[in-house]
Amino acid sequence: MTESFDLLVIGAGPAGGEAALSAASAGLNVALIDEGPAAGGQVWRAPRTAKAKRSRAQDPDRERGDDLRARLAASSIKIFYATQVWDARPGFRVSCVSDAGAKELNAPCLVLATGAIERVLPFEGWTTPGVFGLAAATAVMKAEKALFGQDIVIAGQGPLLIAVAAKACELGLRPRAIIDRASRSDWLRAAVGFAGVPSMLITGARWMSQLALAGIPYHRGSEVIRANGDNALQSIVMSNLDSGATEEIEADTLYVGNGLTPADELHRLLGAAQTADGLRGGYRTIRDDRCRSSVPNLYVAGDGAGVYGALPSAIQGQIAGLSAARDHGALTEAQFSARVKEPRRKLRRLEKFGDASCRLMQFPQDVTTHVSAETIICRCEDVTHADIHAAIDDGAQDLNQLKHFTRLGMGPCQGRMCGLTAAAILNHRNPGPKTDTRLTPRAPVRPIEMNQLIGDFDYDDIPVPKPAPL
Amino acid sequence: MYDLAVVGGGIHGASVALFAARGGMNVVLLEAGALARQASGTNAGTLTMQMTRAALIPYALKAHEMWVNAPHWLGHDVGVVACDGLSLAFTEAEEQLLSERAKARSAAGAPINLVTKAEATRIEPGVNPSIRMASHCAIDGYANAYLTGLAYRRALRDAGVTIREYTPVTGLAASGKGYEIRLAQKAIAASQVVLTGGVWLEPMLKWLDIQLPIKTLVNQLSVTERTGPVMRTVLGIASGLLSLKQFPHGTVVIGGGWQGEGRRETNYHRTTHDSTVGNARLAVHAIPALRNTRLVRSWTGFEAETADALPIVGPVPGHPGVWVSGSVHSGYTSAPYIAHCLTQAILGHHPEMPLFPMDRLLANSTPEAAHFPPKSQ
Repeated sequence: MTESFDLLVIGAGPAGGEAALSAASAGLNVALIDEGPAAGGQVWRAPRTAKAKRSRAQDPDRERGDDLRARLAASSIKIFYATQVWDARPGFRVSCVSDAGAKELNAPCLVLATGAIERVLPFEGWTTPGVFGLAAATAVMKAEKALFGQDIVIAGQGPLLIAVAAKACELGLRPRAIIDRASRSDWLRAAVGFAGVPSMLITGARWMSQLALAGIPYHRGSEVIRANGDNALQSIVMSNLDSGATEEIEADTLYVGNGLTPADELHRLLGAAQTADGLRGGYRTIRDDRCRSSVPNLYVAGDGAGVYGALPSAIQGQIAGLSAARDHGALTEAQFSARVKEPRRKLRRLEKFGDASCRLMQFPQDVTTHVSAETIICRCEDVTHADIHAAIDDGAQDLNQLKHFTRLGMGPCQGRMCGLTAAAILNHRNPGPKTDTRLTPRAPVRPIEMNQLIGDFDYDDIPVPKPAPL
Repeated sequence: MYDLAVVGGGIHGASVALFAARGGMNVVLLEAGALARQASGTNAGTLTMQMTRAALIPYALKAHEMWVNAPHWLGHDVGVVACDGLSLAFTEAEEQLLSERAKARSAAGAPINLVTKAEATRIEPGVNPSIRMASHCAIDGYANAYLTGLAYRRALRDAGVTIREYTPVTGLAASGKGYEIRLAQKAIAASQVVLTGGVWLEPMLKWLDIQLPIKTLVNQLSVTERTGPVMRTVLGIASGLLSLKQFPHGTVVIGGGWQGEGRRETNYHRTTHDSTVGNARLAVHAIPALRNTRLVRSWTGFEAETADALPIVGPVPGHPGVWVSGSVHSGYTSAPYIAHCLTQAILGHHPEMPLFPMDRLLANSTPEAAHFPPKSQ
């Protein structure tokens, strides 16, 4: 089954939602696709349970998300929710699955607004049941106004750490500790960048003071180095980054995250040029000031092309949508210039804010400070740190070889969790000039349900190619 | 000066390099990328007679035995599992095709016999009950193709082969008593040369002004996430356009030669929507329990095919000391044995089984090709 549009937008978060709206407002026939049941993405996530829908707690992300969802609902955009994109080919042909089966959506222009995924610095015991990501915590709190765990510890780095801690307190939980890799001076430096967006600075300051008032132990310049427990988390050990002093804290649940990395599988499958950029989460997709990638008629916006955060992403989305409308001929150059003027001005201010958050989230250089030989690096396939070194000893020089030698990255996550960590280990062992050491991107970009992929079919309708020679 | 330079580090090149070194030669193996990272590392690993061309069955049988004994001669594990193989017929037309093909392969020596639906279901309890009949071969199985590079790398190192990865060869010319193999920076010299470049044999042969078209197939494969046991055999269908097996760690690899898209010239290849869906449907039709799995990855690799879809293995006419090996249909299965025979010729012995000289495919066959096997040097 195939449907055609002027523009496809993948991802209905802040960037994709705004891209679709701005392109549709210029007259394009737009389709918007998202794997979730509603628009908003991760940060502006829609409430799912009755309890979460009723909540009246002050929440700017919720308000922005509700506003986006209302504008999308009132628009002419064809929206495919609960639809998983699994491949995209030049042209553009986008393969999706949903409960309705597999289909291809076609359009001459494509906006990728695929968002980010969380990175976690591995440490001994990080695969123990009871250890979750910070991003998982925000997802559950936004959707359900609930959080799993009694004795919880919240650890990692970046604004998400503070947001999760403050929201956990709002839910009546009392974290046993907050463990932040950043020091007080890191935060003060960031505050200068945050000042450009007063509303966000105020939100952040409010969270900080809530935590202080609640008397939650806040350990700055520290990180979790071990999680103890066999089948369930019992305690964590934290260490001060400067002094090396350690302390054990009993906990049944640890939420930990070390920033974000672009979910850029589709960008890579389509061959968009990228460059290494630690501040943006690892690699960012190269784009011009009209959000055009190196691939003609492929536009990129939001954290999927390089992490900036939700607010800059939304503006990038607006620009990408207008840019697609311009290239498609729906806007004249003069109309385009007039309409991007204000967004561009806003974007400059918001990107400074984004830079400050990204510096707090920047992933540590040395990824193996707190791992032992037995620590699992690839969680899907149980590939340990020692396995990786053995493969390098055997001659593996790139990540694809490491994958062949060890099965690293062959499981359901396809290397999203371990890829950058393994690449860092490999690069550390093989110093010298580096090319892109990531795994070759492959479809499907997310695991797909076979049942959805194949749908209902008759054997006679399968287009079996002609027999191979005998 | 090397005794032998092997250009192309796939399963064919790596096997020839290994056997030649063990035969006493000083060997260098040159590979543009990493060992066994193209077709040899990305194929489905099927070690089957039921997808092998009848003319190659005798070689494939010998090679199957080699694969099963890999720990003895290779010294390293490629995850080989020997098991039953079934080729299925769901329609009357497929029954007829299956009977013809089983007969031809069986005449060539493969222990293939037709079995009833009841017998097939006993051999493979997971099979779709709507099958009409099947052909059964007790000699079947699979390897973990992605382990090929690792296993051969260790064996080659042990045998003293000089392995030069990420070293593209740019040209080849006669020089003194042997050949000069041109690299990006400098050249190396060898008395004899073997070209084992898979689909890139066509541009390689052009170095010697030989025009031999090699068709590039873009075969695509998919794999499920780990799942509980759903099958115990290697499965195919009458037309040959399905290969299906479950590895011991629980993943199921789906293949059979469905075509992706791509070009040899740019080394670009990728899956297509229709082939992914079609191949998956065929797989689920054969093993219905697969409907409840998830597909986690699909990928493609190049397979080389000559005009008559038979191998080119033997001397390169007009260039004494230059050899070629490739375009072996179901080449992964047969490679170790074909390489064994070719290496015998390179070492100046008579090969155990006939090679496949390329002369038949050349427009103007050169007289030198008549001298085969070569006179010992």
